[in-house]
Amino acid sequence: MKYAYFPGCSIHASAKEYAMAANAVNKFLDVEFVEIPDWNCCGAIDAVYAYNRLLSVSLSARNLALAENMKMNIVTLCSACFFTLSRANNMLREKAELKSTVEKAINDAGLKYEGGVKVRHYMDVLANDVGFDKIRQQVKMPLKGLKVAPYYGCLIVRPTGIQRFDDPEHPTSMDKVIEALGAEPVYYPDKTRCCGASLVITDEEVMMEMTKGPLLTAKNAQADCIVTPCPMCHFNLDAKQKDIESHFDIDIGLPVLYITQLIGLAFGISPKELGLHRNIVSPNRILEKLKATNYTAPKT
Amino acid sequence: MKHNLFHQITDQMTDPSFIEEIKKIPDGDKILDCIQCGVCAGSCHARFAMDYSPMQILKMAHLGLKQEVLTSSTIWICASCYTCASRCPRGLNIPAIMSGFKNMAMKNNVSAPIALKPKFHKAFTEIVGKYGRMHEPELQLRLLKKTSLGDLLHNASLGMRMLRKGKLKLQPSKLNSNTHFSEIVKNVLKQEGQK
Repeated sequence: MKYAYFPGCSIHASAKEYAMAANAVNKFLDVEFVEIPDWNCCGAIDAVYAYNRLLSVSLSARNLALAENMKMNIVTLCSACFFTLSRANNMLREKAELKSTVEKAINDAGLKYEGGVKVRHYMDVLANDVGFDKIRQQVKMPLKGLKVAPYYGCLIVRPTGIQRFDDPEHPTSMDKVIEALGAEPVYYPDKTRCCGASLVITDEEVMMEMTKGPLLTAKNAQADCIVTPCPMCHFNLDAKQKDIESHFDIDIGLPVLYITQLIGLAFGISPKELGLHRNIVSPNRILEKLKATNYTAPKT
Repeated sequence: MKHNLFHQITDQMTDPSFIEEIKKIPDGDKILDCIQCGVCAGSCHARFAMDYSPMQILKMAHLGLKQEVLTSSTIWICASCYTCASRCPRGLNIPAIMSGFKNMAMKNNVSAPIALKPKFHKAFTEIVGKYGRMHEPELQLRLLKKTSLGDLLHNASLGMRMLRKGKLKLQPSKLNSNTHFSEIVKNVLKQEGQK
């Protein structure tokens, strides 16, 4: 199964390990990413959209047009890029005036978009194209006894129209992947709350209050780790965890893995190839816990 | 929270043309469908940091309280998580309306209660327009309060954490010059200028 792969700006910087792990597990699942040549910023949920709506939609439209040239649907690992590209795709379908303005901007630059591309999130591909059975079949080392809190965040389950693939209030796609890997999904109330990603630069304290919720409720539910399908969520939960602990004088200490990293561990891929050394909160304690259940991490 | 505002509305505070402006925002035309049920206010994950709830903002917009809406912290604190939009029984796209309010505030140079916000949107858009992709260190540098030692140290600490793990990309990634990107940006800015 081939997809036009849209990495997005975070994947190229802070979230490389998410893509490293995705590439490693894709080999087991017959999924192939073909990177969109010379892709640009998705158009941003609000940062560009509020400043210059036409520019934001045109940025999305260029990516959509490039994918259409490849005759493939887009897949992205980032929930924010997924939402932004989906939104633009819907707007170009439904809002005639906007469509003609954006068309003019990209046509004059020699590009054309006919509206034939679907935007998919990687979780959607895992749940609906690959399927949970196929994931289960590839498990070499079941993650027995590991309690995992799935953090969906907001944007992955919120788009309207055909792009929505899971329930916006009670999504289950990641829970089912966790089950397929032999681990135990933890039920906790904050799995679709917003981490405040768009406030991280301008309103850090507000963002910390928002991210504290899922970290604490996941911990209270006895989770060994959190998994997320979004580089924005990951940044707040993982890289900012230390700041949140010291700001509120609380102790959390929860490793935060990308869903692709968790899948990779169960497929027997080495922690190094999955980029686990790049996670800021050390994932060693989950590797220790897994060792106790006869799990041996390969060395390479 | 300014509970008393609704009892103090005077003619001078209301602007009947405001609602017409809002209707021009994509999905803004549905703003009059709001039934003030409060689902958005109850659902909002950032409500604790706002002066008015999203529901109050919508009512204020109905009443034409343009200045009060555009100077509220609410429109800037909205994190665009779309929880309210996915729950609204009347199908209002509230975050899109909030983005529209931010846009009006920036276009009209309304001073924002959080001074950094308009600077953030401007810098973000300019960096993306320049390279085609976000370059976070440059964004951070442009927004850093250079007078605050605490701020500098705080940012340096996170920066070191990121750098040690190879998560900080010091050089911006750029697009090929021959793949239409800069023409599109130019075309959009030209069209925006015509309006």
